[in-house]
Amino acid sequence: MVVGDVTTGTDVLIIGAGPGGYVAAIRAGQLDLDVTLVEKEAYGGTCLNHGCIPSKALISATDVAHDASEAEAMGIHADPAVDLSAMVGWKDEIVDQLTGGVEKLCKANGVNLVEGRAEFAGENTVRVAHSGEGQGSESIEFEHAIVATGSRPIEVPNFEFDGEHIISSRDALALDEVPESLVVVGAGYIGMELSTVFAKLGTDVTIVEMLDSALPAYEDDVARVVKSRAEEFGIDFHFGEAASEWEESGGGITVMTENEDGEIAEFGAEKALVAVGREPVTDTLNLDAVGLEPSEGGFLDTDDRARTDVEHVFAVGDVAGEPMLAHKGMKEGEVATEVIAGEPAALDYQSVPAAVFTDPEIGTVGMTESEAEEAGFSPVVGEMPMQASGRALTLGESEGFVRVVADDDAGFILGAQIVAPEASEMIAEFGLAIEMGATLEDVAATIHTHPTLGEAVMEAVENAQGKAIHTLNR
Amino acid sequence: MVREFKLPDVGEGVAEGEIVSWLVEPGDAVEEDQPVAEVETDKAVVDVPSPVNGSVKEILAEEGEMVPVGNVIITFAVEGEDEDETDTTSQEESTETRTDTATETGPDAGTADEASAETDQDGEMSTADGRVFAAPSARRLAREQGVDITTVEGSGPGGRVSDHDVRAAAESGASGAGGAGGDDGTSGDEVTSAVSDVSGEAGTAGESGGAAASGASAAQASAPSGANRDRTLAAPATRQLAEEAGVDIDDVPTDEERDGEAFVAPEAVEAYAEAQQEAQAADTAAVAAGEAGAQEERIPYRGMRRTIGQQMEASKFTAPHVTHHDEVDVTELVETRGELKEVAAERGISLSYMPFVMKACVAALREFPMVNAMLDEESEEIVQKKYYNVGVATATDAGLMVPVVDDAGNKTLLGLASEMNELVEKARERSIAREEMQGGTFTITNVGAIGGEYATPIVNHPEVAILALGAIKEKPRVVDGEVVPRHVMTVSLSFDHRVLDGAIAAQFTNKVEEYLEHPNRLLLE
Repeated sequence: MVVGDVTTGTDVLIIGAGPGGYVAAIRAGQLDLDVTLVEKEAYGGTCLNHGCIPSKALISATDVAHDASEAEAMGIHADPAVDLSAMVGWKDEIVDQLTGGVEKLCKANGVNLVEGRAEFAGENTVRVAHSGEGQGSESIEFEHAIVATGSRPIEVPNFEFDGEHIISSRDALALDEVPESLVVVGAGYIGMELSTVFAKLGTDVTIVEMLDSALPAYEDDVARVVKSRAEEFGIDFHFGEAASEWEESGGGITVMTENEDGEIAEFGAEKALVAVGREPVTDTLNLDAVGLEPSEGGFLDTDDRARTDVEHVFAVGDVAGEPMLAHKGMKEGEVATEVIAGEPAALDYQSVPAAVFTDPEIGTVGMTESEAEEAGFSPVVGEMPMQASGRALTLGESEGFVRVVADDDAGFILGAQIVAPEASEMIAEFGLAIEMGATLEDVAATIHTHPTLGEAVMEAVENAQGKAIHTLNR
Repeated sequence: MVREFKLPDVGEGVAEGEIVSWLVEPGDAVEEDQPVAEVETDKAVVDVPSPVNGSVKEILAEEGEMVPVGNVIITFAVEGEDEDETDTTSQEESTETRTDTATETGPDAGTADEASAETDQDGEMSTADGRVFAAPSARRLAREQGVDITTVEGSGPGGRVSDHDVRAAAESGASGAGGAGGDDGTSGDEVTSAVSDVSGEAGTAGESGGAAASGASAAQASAPSGANRDRTLAAPATRQLAEEAGVDIDDVPTDEERDGEAFVAPEAVEAYAEAQQEAQAADTAAVAAGEAGAQEERIPYRGMRRTIGQQMEASKFTAPHVTHHDEVDVTELVETRGELKEVAAERGISLSYMPFVMKACVAALREFPMVNAMLDEESEEIVQKKYYNVGVATATDAGLMVPVVDDAGNKTLLGLASEMNELVEKARERSIAREEMQGGTFTITNVGAIGGEYATPIVNHPEVAILALGAIKEKPRVVDGEVVPRHVMTVSLSFDHRVLDGAIAAQFTNKVEEYLEHPNRLLLE
């Protein structure tokens, strides 16, 4: 202990007030545990402040502008002017409202909030350094700790973020002017989402990707729909190009890339957005002091109780491993706290849904057909093209499909892939189906509202049964 | 219907107990609350009552066996429920199951006599990747009920497991994974689960091994063969569990797979470890029985011996010990005691040196209250006791016991002698109550009674000091410039250096010595 430290004690110490951490804290409060939540920056973590919420706010706003300008087929002629600064201000209000809400909920549930950067100082102690000079530090002794420190964008060598020429996703969400041109390094989901936003705002977007396809984590036909649509917005793709260095040129920059054969290509733009993935934040925690060692990727290995190798330390959210998704972290936060409270909780969910907010959106959950085969099932697949959806046509967005994967023997639904407008919402039905152990028949026999996009779920399921009405059965 | 009975928590947080004796045999009729076994923990022997009216079906733990709380020790056939039908079915199906798995499981499968492989026969429980189709609410219920949902046969469409299925499994005792995990697997229903899990999969001896070993008598058990895989998937906590249990995770049998690789759950580790331990216990018993000759004898580390060990360990590893040694000339004490001994004998009391030492210690403790203290670690306070309860370490056939003479500060020499003698006798007869060994504030141990001069006694935690007395021997001493024979006793004071420093320890010892050198000063106390 440092002389002058003030030491306090708590049952549950949570490091990080992102989705995993604040959910854990609130649940702990509900369970009458004495809980202390330490946050170094802003309540809500990356998700609320620099990720999900701000990006989705800007995606929605740009969609309004873009859809209006593209609605001539509907008889609408508009030429919207976008004030990005005002749009970002509107986004910031949403963020403030939500982060303020998180803080209030924590307080209302009796959570002790501490601002500062926490690192372990012993098996049952953290030291929290308060920000600002002369703010000092304090030590907190804990019975249990939950590490929820989240993740940060990965930097590419030679492309350190400077906030001006080389920007991260976080910087991109705070720009007050629409860049004229942008090189986006990385065609994963963050690169694709933000590329779509800026392309819709009129930015000349070039994507360079080291691999040979966009959205490599998704099946080819899913990624193809999104890439094709992105190209319609004017996004220029260059695959097999690894960003190697950059230099200032004119008012902007030139990004150099290198392909497998060592050939150099140059791409000029006002800025470069580097979005090649995220890495867990575990290096600031002094994990040695608590007896933990991160795995090679920097993650903390956990069991199905969200417990690390150290009995009284738990890890949730991005630090606990892929997939790095807020909703996974939230569930882990709940489970970790309930386990601490002695409840029989476990991370025994069958699937974690995922959504990409491109145009059209992607929603996936559970197994793909090939994954089901590999797992030893006899998969049966049903599809519903959105072109056959009345509601999709009335929205003017009929690209994509709904696909369901089920076990042919018993009909249990194993997975689904949706690429469609509102796929992020539609996928929830399949998530529920998988968790409930629902069969194709269960979903097919459930009346779905007409005319909605959700009908496509029912149609895909019926297609798998060979009973589809609005499409030809496979 | 078969009702399992798990060793209950017999109180005071004990984790296991030794089956001292069975009061019933298989086939005996029993009534609810009728004692069926005597179980000894480290503190007491308690009766274990039958939970049902019925008959004893099977006894699953040997007399003398240590059984963790939660392990099934006996099964009952419940009165009024059809037992035969269940058994018949079980026997037939288990035969088939054993045929399937014999090459994998070896002799262990043979103990799964009660097994029913019903769920395995129709195959509905085993899906492609071992997934169980069930709603989250049913999964939670299974956890709450301590039921391993992977062993539950689902009655829903395609074998989906419902709440009802989980409850039925819980009532029939088909747990397996929840809570106590591998501590089970001994009843017909549980073995059913284990066997159904292993069938059809290669290298899956363990579950039945675990069930078998606990079902068989220890003497018959043999070590279950390990799976010996090259690679095993398991959660970090499971690996840790395996490490703690001293088993190789690659040897733990499993029928679960993740991503095409063998996956081991904590329950499997526990079951395997338990099976190994029981097999080792059987080996030990065999050795003790003379199979390996009489070169070694293994004595169970249990009961009193273990309690003493735990207390010593707790003290030694909690309190930093320092021992202060000295000699004291007790020539006067020898004379005084010689005179008073006869007077005491006339009153029917045997007067040893110990009451003098007790009185000397109490007098010194009054002067140095820090020695009559304890450290309350939780509240971080040193608690000085204003009363003097002196423990007297006593060697008994069962091991070291420390009867405590309460309120020694207010008792006469003969009073102390009388009470101490009585307590020591009770300790040696093992008729002493636990309460009579509690509440001490300072302890004296007489190592010299058997021989020896100096020792390093272990503080009787949470007290902070203990005085060891060596033998009184005649030794040459210089008195008034002349070497003369004197009676000399060695003393060793061990103390908890967190609370006491060497100076106080030495001062305290000096004060005790002063009284022992001049016992008439005790008249003032």
